[in-house]
Amino acid sequence: MNMWTRLCSWTAAMLCRTRKEREMDEEMRFHIDAHVADLVGRGVAQQEAQRQARVEFGGIETAKEECRDAVGVSFLETLFQDVRHGIRAMLRTPVFTAIAVIVLALGIGANTAILSVVDAVLLRPLAYRDSDRLVTILMNGEGPVSVANYVDWRDQSHSFAAMGAADYWSPNLTGVDAPEHIAGLKVTQSLFPMLGVDPLLGRVFVEGEDKDGADREVILSYRLWQRRFSSERNVLGKPIVLDGNAYTVVGVMPEGFHFAPFWATKAELWVPNAFGARIHNRGGNSLRIFARLKDGVSLTRARAEIASITARLEHQYPGTNRDAVMTPLKEKVVGPVETPLLVLLGAVAFVLLITCSNVAHMLLARAATRQKEVAVRSALGAGRGRLIRQFLTESILLGALGGAAGLLLAMIATRALLATSPANIPRVQTVSIDLRAALFLFSATSLTSVGFGLAPALQASSVNVNDTLKEGGRGGNEGVRRNRLRSLLVVSEFALALMLLVGAGLMIRTFAALEAVNPGFNPHNVISMIVSVSGSKEEDPGRRELFYRQLLERVRSLPGVQAAGAINHLPLAGDLWGWHFAIEGRPKPRPGEEPGAVYRMVTPGYFSAMRLPLVRGRDLTEADNVTAPGVVIVNEQAARQYWPGEDPIGKRVCFVDDTTNPAAWLTIIGIAKDAKQDSWTDKATPEAYLAAFQNHDYLGDSGTEASKHMNYITLVARTALDPALAASAMKEAARSFDRNLAITQVVTMDGVVVEANSQPRFEMLLLTIFAAVALVLAVVGIYGVISYSASRRTHEIGVRMSLGATRGDVLFLVVRQGVWLAVAGSVAGMAGALLLSRLMAKLLYGVQPTDPATFVVVAIGLGLVAMLACYIPARRAMRIDPIAALRYE
Amino acid sequence: MEKQLDLLQGTLDMLILKAISLSPLHGYGILLRIQQISNERLEIQQGSLYPALYRLEHHGWIKSEWGESENKRRARYYRLTTGGKRRLRSEAERWNQMSAVIAGILQTTPEEI
Repeated sequence: MNMWTRLCSWTAAMLCRTRKEREMDEEMRFHIDAHVADLVGRGVAQQEAQRQARVEFGGIETAKEECRDAVGVSFLETLFQDVRHGIRAMLRTPVFTAIAVIVLALGIGANTAILSVVDAVLLRPLAYRDSDRLVTILMNGEGPVSVANYVDWRDQSHSFAAMGAADYWSPNLTGVDAPEHIAGLKVTQSLFPMLGVDPLLGRVFVEGEDKDGADREVILSYRLWQRRFSSERNVLGKPIVLDGNAYTVVGVMPEGFHFAPFWATKAELWVPNAFGARIHNRGGNSLRIFARLKDGVSLTRARAEIASITARLEHQYPGTNRDAVMTPLKEKVVGPVETPLLVLLGAVAFVLLITCSNVAHMLLARAATRQKEVAVRSALGAGRGRLIRQFLTESILLGALGGAAGLLLAMIATRALLATSPANIPRVQTVSIDLRAALFLFSATSLTSVGFGLAPALQASSVNVNDTLKEGGRGGNEGVRRNRLRSLLVVSEFALALMLLVGAGLMIRTFAALEAVNPGFNPHNVISMIVSVSGSKEEDPGRRELFYRQLLERVRSLPGVQAAGAINHLPLAGDLWGWHFAIEGRPKPRPGEEPGAVYRMVTPGYFSAMRLPLVRGRDLTEADNVTAPGVVIVNEQAARQYWPGEDPIGKRVCFVDDTTNPAAWLTIIGIAKDAKQDSWTDKATPEAYLAAFQNHDYLGDSGTEASKHMNYITLVARTALDPALAASAMKEAARSFDRNLAITQVVTMDGVVVEANSQPRFEMLLLTIFAAVALVLAVVGIYGVISYSASRRTHEIGVRMSLGATRGDVLFLVVRQGVWLAVAGSVAGMAGALLLSRLMAKLLYGVQPTDPATFVVVAIGLGLVAMLACYIPARRAMRIDPIAALRYE
Repeated sequence: MEKQLDLLQGTLDMLILKAISLSPLHGYGILLRIQQISNERLEIQQGSLYPALYRLEHHGWIKSEWGESENKRRARYYRLTTGGKRRLRSEAERWNQMSAVIAGILQTTPEEI
């Protein structure tokens, strides 16, 4: 039969469904009637003939069903029927349906959200051409290298198809309405072609554009182009003013292009990097190096080559070039967040397992209650296949509903994740709902719900219809086996939940330990902002110092401001500059082994604004100016490390290479408390606070390259008022000097501290949410199993009570079963947690992965919750009236 | 009466085709015809007759129309289509071959091997 006739028959059948049904009925009735007539004709009594004819014909409904199947039209029809039936069944048990959908939604939603983040951050390749061939070369794998080293590596190596380097550069964009401090990079010409990303407009830098004097082009990021240039295409060729110099816009990069992928992740513009005199510099380390491996060159070979060049250079120029480490770019980018994300992924996998097992045993429990329905339906002629199809439809309906709710939840959760995620997670801006992940999870949960949803139908064949109907739905011994499966599911749920709770507990303790950390200063009610003089008339060396002093005076006179000062870079938030120094009267150390310190440029008032106490000695005063002898304040760690058993106050140090200049020697006047500088959990490192008003680079009159970069200060003020109000007053105060001053990064110190701890907070938050979800699911699980089995044992409990069991005995009987499950689950969970918690050691602070307190509290808490979950069905069982139980069961 | 034989799997369709190839019949008539020509030696599940009829009609091997029965009632009569005739021929051929082969096997004596 060809397609056409098949289609015709199918359509006709669909159209005249009711007629067909009528005819089928009539045809079969005719058959039986004719048979009866024959039998009567042979002398059988009418009634007996009718009975006999029916028995010989067999199940009429079965025959009809098979007829419908034979014609094949029934697929859609039965589908509609099944869907209708499924919806009715779901509405009949709204609580079950709601719980199942919520469970599925939680499982699918949370997992999709996390998988989407993991995919975008960890798994997806970087958005450059053949990004897996890109590497980065850094000191110790993180620090910058010197220009001369870069040039040597570039010229002497053969493993790379291209090599490029970038310097951080954040110029002021002026000559426009609102001057702005913009993060950017100075890159070598080779860099953009190496990345292989085509610009959206214009071009990337061409050969020769990073030569000295020919470096006045700029490439804009898509966002900067949108934000400051209204996405106008004619921006190409236009000059813009950066740090007072005119640059020509030559290109705009496409949306989604980010460079650098680590360290300077917020760069919004790129200019050529002309090395100038720095090409011979081996001391100042500022370059990050990027390279593309040549085809066929392995990472190992390239590493070996770099190592041998470095060794040669180290021999040639001792003290430089050490510890250059080459890392694949992607590893460098995602490495720091790999552990936390994988831990979260693991947690999410646990939640998924719990979800599946919960759905499984909910459906198993329901299957038991539907045994009778199945028996009735099969007695009425429903075939096994038909029953399977019906239950399948119901399961898929449930799965679809859960999946839809889950997807919705995933969208909300992803958005919430992005909103709360720490800023330092790379590529987080590229996260979007990963449909593959959603699909995968949807199939996982659907398979579970389908697999276990089919149980009642599959069982139909093994159930004796007669027995089931007669016994009123009380199944025989199959219930025991099924209950064992459900118990196993509950035990594993408990084990998984315990592991998650331990993980969350450890993170909570970590967070408590972090909160207890003393940063050395008091961050409350402190507001700070960066004021840049670049491109304004205050940049002029003759005016800069006066401007700074007047600005500070004006800020101090603002209402509510208790103290104000300035620093070059804010602790925990800003850049971190280190330098080595010489100590008077000590032999010159070997190159590379000089004492070093984080050095900060501060003005008088900084220490009191931050409430960073001086342990001994005196604070800077207004008198410590360029004409006065140079002074410096060190921290306790520097004192301990470099002057053990000595008093550093009065000792002299020199921070410049040329120690012959007497003016370069600074006298230590005070010792400050250790303050957190780079990260919240770092151990104290040596620090030196130099007087900004004694530093010619800072005041802009040293005439060196460095002074061009030091054209901003970070104002820090302690206020008694609302910091937001103080902030706007401070901005106004600065602007009243010159509207061309760029004011950026207005933050409260409290905000800085929160940001510094955002990653552990994020991890704690997520793990706690997952653990809470797991806990709820496990409790629902144990409650379901216990209340189900208690209800199945109503008869038994009735017998026991009539034989003299007290209500206490009954309580014990029911709770014991639950406690066993909880104990078994907890023991398994403990073992698992002991094994797994060390994987998250990197995320912890101030607590051991096997912290006994956490384990004990979690186990006891979980046990109590389990008891409570068992107590409710147990109390119900206690109230059983033995007479009624015996009579009705 | 001899013991009735259960119908071999898959042979019902062929028997139905054969029964109505002689003359158009309604369902009950087909049952009677098969029993009659088999001398009551075949047991047919009456309920399974109709699904088979619907299947055959769906395949286009038989065609049905409503007519009047011998006792003046509306009944559905089935008759063979051209395709059905072909089908019956090929089925019969297949069956004959099969039964010949099986009969041959069953008649084999030890000496023949």
